[in-house]
Amino acid sequence: MSDRGLGPQTDVGILYGEHHGWLHKWLWRRLGNATDAADLAHDVFLRLILKPAPRGFDSFGATRAYLRSMAQGLCINLWHRREIEQAWLDTLAARPEQFAPSPERQAMVLEALQEISAMLLDLPPKAARAFLLGEVCRMTDREVADELGVSSRMVRKYVAQVMLRCLQLQARDTAAALLDPHLA
Amino acid sequence: MHHTASPIAAAVSGEPSHQVLEQAAEWYALLRSGDATDSDRTHWQAWLAQQPQHRQAWHCVEQISNRFESLQDTPDPRRTAEGLWTANERLIKRRRLLRGSAIVAGTALLGWQTLPPSSLPRLARAWSAGHRSATGEIRSLVLADGTQVWLNTAAAFDEHYDINQRLLQLWAGEILIATAGDAQRPFLVATPQGRLRALGTRFTVRLEETQTLLAVFEGAVEITTASGATSVVEAGQQRRFSTTALASAEPADLAREAWRDGILVARDIPLREVVGELRRYRRGYLGLAPEVAELRVFGNFPLHDPDAALDLLGYALPIRVRRTLPWWASIDAAVMP
Repeated sequence: MSDRGLGPQTDVGILYGEHHGWLHKWLWRRLGNATDAADLAHDVFLRLILKPAPRGFDSFGATRAYLRSMAQGLCINLWHRREIEQAWLDTLAARPEQFAPSPERQAMVLEALQEISAMLLDLPPKAARAFLLGEVCRMTDREVADELGVSSRMVRKYVAQVMLRCLQLQARDTAAALLDPHLA
Repeated sequence: MHHTASPIAAAVSGEPSHQVLEQAAEWYALLRSGDATDSDRTHWQAWLAQQPQHRQAWHCVEQISNRFESLQDTPDPRRTAEGLWTANERLIKRRRLLRGSAIVAGTALLGWQTLPPSSLPRLARAWSAGHRSATGEIRSLVLADGTQVWLNTAAAFDEHYDINQRLLQLWAGEILIATAGDAQRPFLVATPQGRLRALGTRFTVRLEETQTLLAVFEGAVEITTASGATSVVEAGQQRRFSTTALASAEPADLAREAWRDGILVARDIPLREVVGELRRYRRGYLGLAPEVAELRVFGNFPLHDPDAALDLLGYALPIRVRRTLPWWASIDAAVMP
């Protein structure tokens, strides 16, 4: 991974000195919040340490473009997490308060939602939707098939495809945690 | 494939091969489809028995499936699912815009990995508690002061004893407590909805979705809800409470104590309640058709063997129990010949 002469750590150290202040300001303007901006700026450099840019950078401008695009991606992720949270709060708010799950359970569901969202993200949309409807809404293959306008055989294929993908992600995640205690 | 890319991880975790994961995923899709036959089921069991790797892969399948199942009991699963879906669609659109306008930097890191692996254990917070029981397990233990506690299925609590008090924090499920006397230190049980103070000796505390159920069999217990309302429940009574409200007292249900002996006591209660109770002891899915949900049930059923309990229900009521596979069963009306 670090056969580019300088070790990745050194590279990131220099990059940090040159660009961290600028990146933080950029994020602050975008998010309107200093704390979120500081978190994400930190995250950008952490990611560079864990996974250095593939070919290094050949100019100041290219470096900033790369950092900005990474930061942009992280902003999008942050908004996404907040949107999921908001949707869950809205679902809860639509019910009378006395039927609300306990705060512990609410937090557990929110965490499950964030995880499931991430699991489904990179999958073909129809397959992801078939799995979500079948699992969360307890729909049968037939019901899912009718809603998506596909055959139930297709639904079964989708379910197997998504389950396999989740299994692979879980295996990768476990491996990452074992190999890289910094992530934990 | 990442399996070949991380041989160390594979060695450490004994990770099943890609092919085995693929098979597990296909079995899962077939078994949950509703179209599986008895012969499919037999083949699946044979596949499971074949290799430890198969069982390990299946264990992972169950873990993933459980994560989705935790959303099934939310107030409005459909709305919850749609909220998630909309947020994901927006994220995909934004990412597409980002890809169009700039270099794709670090996008491979986004997605699943945005969540630290440590959130997985946190998801199962209750399961890191000091004392817990597995699904289907009923067990008892004696605490340092001689207090005896029975844990009903899938229960979890922490014990906080100090010189001033004996406090149990209940995280999940139900516990039956027979307190030992201690003139100096009160005996307390905390739940998300409030706090209980034992004035006597034998009572059960059960966490339900948004409330706590207290049933007292000997002595008395004082409830203080999170909002500060208090009430004393006497022996032979039970009472539910939420963070803000106390329901009225009712006669204590024998079933709240009988589980200690592994018996589910049903005295003229609807089938849906019996099934609700059995679900707590049985891993996996147990479906109930609405047309039989209100049938009245009398009898005692074994909790240590929920499948035997299902068979007994099948003899006693005009219902049919269909088992797609051991963790997937559903009950509907019997087909009259």
